[in-house]
Amino acid sequence: MSAKLEIRNLVKRFGGLVATNDVSFTVEPGQSIGLIGPNGAGKTTIFSQIMGEHQQSSGDILIDENEISRLSTPQRILAGVSRTYQVPRPFSDMSVAENIRVGLTPDSIWQMITRGPNPDRELELAESVGLAEEQLARLPSELSMGDLRKLEMARTLATAPRMMLLDEVFAGLTVNEIAVISKLVQSMRDDGMTFLIVSHDLKALEPLVDEAIAINQGQLIAEGSYSDVMADKAVRASYLGAE
Amino acid sequence: MGLRWHHFALWGLFAVTLFVLPEFVSRGTLRTLIFANFLAIFAISWDTLSGRTGYISFGHPFLIGIGAYTTAILTKRFDVAMEISIPIAVIATMVGGLIVLLPALRIKGSYFALVTLAMMELIYQLVQVIRPDLTGGTRGMSGLPTLTRGAVNGYYMSVSLMLAIALTTWLVMRTRLGTALSAIGMNEEAVSGSGLSVTKLKMAAFLFSAFIAGLGGAVYIHYLGSIAPRALFDINFVFTIIVAALIGGAGTTVGPIAGAFFLTFLLEYLRPYLPGAERYMVYSGLALILYMAQPKGMWELFFQGIAKFDRLGRRE
Amino acid sequence: MLQVLIQGLLLSGLYALIAVGFTLIFSVGRVLNLAYGAYLLIGGYTYFYFSQQLGLPKFAGVALAGIIGCALGILKFQLIVRPLKGNHVAIEISTLILAVFLQSVVIFVFGDSSKILLPIIPGVERVAGAAIPFSNLFAAIASWVILISLWLFVRSTHMGRAMQAVSMDAKGAAISGVDATKINMFTWALSGTLGAIAGVFFASYTQLYPGMWVAPLIIAVAVVIVGGIGSIIGTLIVAHIVGFLEILTSAYIAPELRGVFTMLLIIVILVWRPSGLFGREEL
Ligand SMILES: Nc1ncnc2c1ncn2[C@@H]1O[C@H](COP(=O)(O)OP(=O)(O)OP(=O)(O)O)[C@@H](O)[C@H]1O
Ligand SMILES: [Mg+2]
Repeated sequence: MSAKLEIRNLVKRFGGLVATNDVSFTVEPGQSIGLIGPNGAGKTTIFSQIMGEHQQSSGDILIDENEISRLSTPQRILAGVSRTYQVPRPFSDMSVAENIRVGLTPDSIWQMITRGPNPDRELELAESVGLAEEQLARLPSELSMGDLRKLEMARTLATAPRMMLLDEVFAGLTVNEIAVISKLVQSMRDDGMTFLIVSHDLKALEPLVDEAIAINQGQLIAEGSYSDVMADKAVRASYLGAE
Repeated sequence: MGLRWHHFALWGLFAVTLFVLPEFVSRGTLRTLIFANFLAIFAISWDTLSGRTGYISFGHPFLIGIGAYTTAILTKRFDVAMEISIPIAVIATMVGGLIVLLPALRIKGSYFALVTLAMMELIYQLVQVIRPDLTGGTRGMSGLPTLTRGAVNGYYMSVSLMLAIALTTWLVMRTRLGTALSAIGMNEEAVSGSGLSVTKLKMAAFLFSAFIAGLGGAVYIHYLGSIAPRALFDINFVFTIIVAALIGGAGTTVGPIAGAFFLTFLLEYLRPYLPGAERYMVYSGLALILYMAQPKGMWELFFQGIAKFDRLGRRE
Repeated sequence: MLQVLIQGLLLSGLYALIAVGFTLIFSVGRVLNLAYGAYLLIGGYTYFYFSQQLGLPKFAGVALAGIIGCALGILKFQLIVRPLKGNHVAIEISTLILAVFLQSVVIFVFGDSSKILLPIIPGVERVAGAAIPFSNLFAAIASWVILISLWLFVRSTHMGRAMQAVSMDAKGAAISGVDATKINMFTWALSGTLGAIAGVFFASYTQLYPGMWVAPLIIAVAVVIVGGIGSIIGTLIVAHIVGFLEILTSAYIAPELRGVFTMLLIIVILVWRPSGLFGREEL
């Protein structure tokens, strides 16, 4: 059930800026990989290309050996990959339950009309990310940053992904909230979910990943075990340079 | 869909009130009510597209016009019966609107609004110059067959149509389709990031909106018995439709109805004091103040009022 | 032929003037000001009132129109745009409501019927069979003078450069010490002034009536978007394309169709290239 992601020679140009510069890597089924790099390195841009929100300038993206570059975002989600957003922007006038409902909705107008929502599944998803039942009726504006990230996870999980791309899941969270999300990711790893995780919080990231990839200015500068990547000179220089 | 008995009770009450109304009000008021009903239909149509998805259409009369002109031309020039011409008009609105506006749904925000505005201006000018023998040119057409005679019948027809459209829209918008459409208005990226094809959803919203606009437009001109391009493709008409939906509360079904009735009666009651088009001064001034005070509409104000009252009550 | 050329130039100059006030707001404030057309309306009627009804000198009328337009721009910014804090949909809708409001104020004060504006400069010159009213010639020249001064202003003054900075990146401009609110207000004032003055010329070119603002609004919007947001040169080029398109259509195809091609052009370009022909990719 786990998905495999393969990226080959990915390039993305924004005008004169090369945001992704010939990046290749593979995430094996069930593997969890940390994607690190200083601000503006191009991490989020890689996610957007995997999801089809930005079309790459050249290069291939494969899920389970199938080229997905021509698919629309919903089709890629159907292929099994789903992402969270760095800045959670939930549907602001909808309750937590309705936010999750959007993720659970099938992509068929007919089924949307004829089949009602599934409140049990909504509750189950909310609870699986650590949201309480009484929070289901709340509006996003009433939630803490930690709960917003959980909601973001729940909405993403609702699309039944086999691979998740997590963008800065720990940003703005308290230590306790980080622990909750970490535990959630761990248990999903045990269930075989494939992960690609972006985080500036390297301490929180370490236990969640099998391997790491570092990029800087759109280029892949190191890959391998977490400790090797962190010990890499170029990686250290890129972080220092960005400070 | 989470229907409760009180939903049925409220709709029933609303329908019964509207149906017994002719017993209590004058003919003049009844005529005003007929316009309120049609305005409500157009406002609901606008709302299903723009109020929900946030794609603001400034050219809604474009859609209404396709429906109205199709049936007008068919009945007047080709002697087609209204039972046939009205359904054809509805289909023409959906198909014609889709061909023209589908490319526009690719573009966002202000650009979409502009394209729709330009579209309305375009069709206004085209109607006057292309085949005026068919369209009646600048003067439009009169002597079209009418569906009903007299104010009471006209009222019953318009009220039934309005209620049918409102109830259908309300039911459909309560489903997950309604939720998904509103979600587009809040964060389009996250909707496709949830696995839903935004294009498909926008197209559904558009077709639904065009269906109502075409039907409303076609029936409207067979109530009036005439069609005039200047009144139809008019910025004041756009304004009235949008304001009705917004004042009442965009993204709801009751809102546009409430807004339409409120505005129609406001205009009507101002008539004795300000007989000319100056009524629009009070009307638009009020609309501006109300809109600035609460962009979500009266409906929201009403709910906030209840909530406040509730809190006060609890504090006692 | 010469006639077409001259008329095309005259009309294009006028369109450029109308569009330029609009492009200021669209590029600096990033909002679609649907009430822009109302500046033209108010400008035309202010001129009519002071110069024709009160009999003030004509240039005083034009100046007063500019002042009222300026005041209107500031009021609009303070009372509508600022409270709505960048909510684009709300700003579009409230400026539309405002435009209808101003139109009805005009109807209330001046009545519904259309007025003939006496030419700013009376007299007609005949060139190769083409009648060129001095008024139109003056309008075109004035448009050019205003456009060139504006271009120089944006290029070379501190204020002008600050406006450019805000239009490119409001946040970045704020960091480098530019008060975006002040710049915005100034832009609204300037745009109001230009709009009102353009209104005087436009009204004397066509006629003065309460609904006169819709067509120039659409043309202004079209010129700006097709020309590329924030590009004064693009605005000029497209104003000429639209102006000549209209004159050519009425000369060689049919006068009634002059607006049709303009609208078609707008629609096709908007859908096909939302960033405009010469503009940067944004919004
Ligand atoms: N839509 C866009 N248009 C132009 N440039 C863009 C766009 N999106 C991103 N960029 C640029 O691409 C580069 C990479 O951005 P990206 O957001 O991918 O970085 P990141 O590694 O996610 O940074 P952060 O840690 O701050 O989230 C940046 O220089 C950014 O300015
Ligand atoms: Mg990022």
